[in-house]
Amino acid sequence: MGASAPVTLAIPSIGVRTDLLHLGLRENGSLEVPGTGSDAPASWYNGSPAPGERGPSVMLGHVNALGGARGVFADLRNLAPGSEINVSRTDGSTAVFTVDRGAKYSKNQFPTLEVYGNTSGAELRLITCDGYDPATGFFDDNYVIYAKLKA
Amino acid sequence: MKKTLRFMAVPTLALAAIALSGSPAMAADQSYQSTLGQLNGSAGSGTITLDVTGDQAHVVLKVSGMPATFMDAPYPHVQHIHGGAQGVCPAPSADKDGDKVISTTEGAPSYGAIVTTLSTSGDTSPAAGLDLKVGGQGASYTVDRTFELNAETKAALKAGTAVVVVHGLDPATLSAAGQAAKSDLAPTLPLAATSPALCGTLKAGQMKMPAGGADTGVTQETGTDTGALAVGGGLALIALAGGAYVIRRRTAGAAA
Repeated sequence: MGASAPVTLAIPSIGVRTDLLHLGLRENGSLEVPGTGSDAPASWYNGSPAPGERGPSVMLGHVNALGGARGVFADLRNLAPGSEINVSRTDGSTAVFTVDRGAKYSKNQFPTLEVYGNTSGAELRLITCDGYDPATGFFDDNYVIYAKLKA
Repeated sequence: MKKTLRFMAVPTLALAAIALSGSPAMAADQSYQSTLGQLNGSAGSGTITLDVTGDQAHVVLKVSGMPATFMDAPYPHVQHIHGGAQGVCPAPSADKDGDKVISTTEGAPSYGAIVTTLSTSGDTSPAAGLDLKVGGQGASYTVDRTFELNAETKAALKAGTAVVVVHGLDPATLSAAGQAAKSDLAPTLPLAATSPALCGTLKAGQMKMPAGGADTGVTQETGTDTGALAVGGGLALIALAGGAYVIRRRTAGAAA
């Protein structure tokens, strides 16, 4: 597929349907994230390939939200290999991905090349948080879903 | 974090979000990367990312599984960006003298001459290429530094001929002929010390690589002051193993 920016993300098996913000990087080079409200959508990193284009397209969503609510990616850890992910694009087409695997990484030792590195085909990365530490209130880990464009 | 983003309609205002986010001043002009492959029976592995901003290069080179010691000291692994040749790692057929070791010289037609030394400190020019003191030390190490990119390296990156090579083999894994041979670069050293062990061509990244993971959890304020219960709304209780209570208060605007 050619380059066409994403509009919506749907993951039927875990009931996700969200619009996608287009966000870039902060001054420190880390990923800009969506807002913290319970209605916050997920986002696409606009420096990554468009979904369906060759390379890893990167999307983010919060695991939780303000006021004790669930984030848009609250159930990402339940997403099983083989599940379908549909991304609608501005050109009217839909890129359909199949979940390959999920992996949890410490934020302190995040394998940037494995997650963001070049791929030979069109792939998708869905990133949320994991590893909540009740003592600090912080999420120490990221959870990453790896998916590939359905042939 | 722009809090206003959460109030924006999507996707009509997505363009505004793009305008608000990102930071041209800090963003790399181009990122390059490589997963290093093994040469000459090496058991090591490595990855490198190289971000170019203007004439500055930020390199993160991670190496592991290499021979750890050499003459009772940490094994020095000299490492470079080569360039100006075919931009590939040498095939086994590059071993012209038949000693089962592709020497640095034998690899040169594939990856070219040294254009940058990936030293741990100081000089990054080809002149530091054989300075063992500023090579990677021991079995596993990370080099994370920013330096000025010279014209030769810039040209090699652009042309796709830039190849990262990490040197230094375990002598015990070499053929008898290889073990007996002296280095083609420094005759005082054994051939193993300077021969290539890891190699990979630097490829332009498919994206501007973000730093680290993502702050996709909303930080929860924690405390043990039970008096805060009186604040009401937005509080939740969780029982801890010890029977104590911790108040988790969802705080506004604190994304972590």
